[in-house]
Amino acid sequence: MTPQDRDWQWLDAGAPLNLMELSTVSAISATEIEELIGYGALHPFLHPLNAGQTIPLFSGHCVAPLRTAGKLRRDYDLDLFTVVIMMDFLVRIETLESQLTSLKARHPS
Amino acid sequence: MQYKDYYAALDIPRDADLDQIKKAYRKLARQHHPDVSKAADAEARFKDAAEAYATLKNPEKRAAYDALGQPRPGEEFSPPPQWSHAHGQDATGFGEMDLEDLLAAMGQGRGARPQGRRPTPGRDYEDTVHISLRDAHHGTELHLNLGDAEGERKLAVTIPVGVIAGQKLRLRGKGGPGRHGGENGDIYLHIVFKPDPIFRADRHDLYFDLALAPWEAALGAELEVPTLDGKVVLTVPPGTRAGRKLRLRGRGLANPRGTAGDLYATVRIDIAPTLSERERVLYQELGTLSSVDLRSHLNQETPHDPTRP
Repeated sequence: MTPQDRDWQWLDAGAPLNLMELSTVSAISATEIEELIGYGALHPFLHPLNAGQTIPLFSGHCVAPLRTAGKLRRDYDLDLFTVVIMMDFLVRIETLESQLTSLKARHPS
Repeated sequence: MQYKDYYAALDIPRDADLDQIKKAYRKLARQHHPDVSKAADAEARFKDAAEAYATLKNPEKRAAYDALGQPRPGEEFSPPPQWSHAHGQDATGFGEMDLEDLLAAMGQGRGARPQGRRPTPGRDYEDTVHISLRDAHHGTELHLNLGDAEGERKLAVTIPVGVIAGQKLRLRGKGGPGRHGGENGDIYLHIVFKPDPIFRADRHDLYFDLALAPWEAALGAELEVPTLDGKVVLTVPPGTRAGRKLRLRGRGLANPRGTAGDLYATVRIDIAPTLSERERVLYQELGTLSSVDLRSHLNQETPHDPTRP
């Protein structure tokens, strides 16, 4: 058993992914990801490259909810638009859980 | 190759239409989904339903399946010759495949390689790992047990310094092995902190309750308090009131990608459960001397609201 410590990747805002990487980790095709962008479920930002070119990148924050929503879509054979709805709720749940943790930490036990 | 009764798996008649098939599948999927059901066989039953649905929802695959007739479930059968033609290989090529692989490969055109021979990515694993605050602060090594149909293996994973609760880590290529040139799967770890007897974490900041005696709060004090790196001296300023948060900058969780969190001591003023006679006398003397009114706001008359009866 060999410890591995080089191949981990944070899934947060500090570790953005490009379209193909996001497609790979979410098992959702690049075409469908572009559709999800059109629905407003994903918000890429433009990262500057050389010669004035830019590339769209996605925050690592979106990976977990996108994977979960994508898996539920496949498991229940749902429409792509349901991924949009599920993403909204999954992100909201995560935000509320984070706020609850924060309040519990600040509140005297 | 063993026959499987997909209609029985979904509990539908053989002449069910697509709508009936979809409804039956979704009902079973919801009942046996591993995220919902705690039954030991939930995953297997969910997989059976998904396999049946994958074939019956596709008209071409369903027609090919129906053409097999109705052998008894588990009975051995040979794929008809036209399946060899559809898959672009001779009949001996079916030897290592099962019914699911064979039907999954249908509809991909003549000459398409069956599922069993196409590059298939390895399985991803998702796991929630519970680590202590101290392990998050200093980094640690975890041993994961990864189990699937191919057996069980152990993997040592280094958790980097400075992880926080709710964070997700992706371990690239450490999941199930890919087949036929497919990439290995990944491992996704969801970090959860174990409850700590002293500290509570809010991202990289830590909080703990600091009990002060009344005279420590009134007069101030120099106190030794715990941190994740050992004890430090905290200065309690005179006149510290209950609920006040005293900050120790940079004494929270390590943050390799930014500033370390802070440590907050939330003040609670407490007294001993029993008093000696001497203490009682001194408190009485203090009560007599003190002119403070801590409850003056409760004695203010509530203004009359004319809109209320």
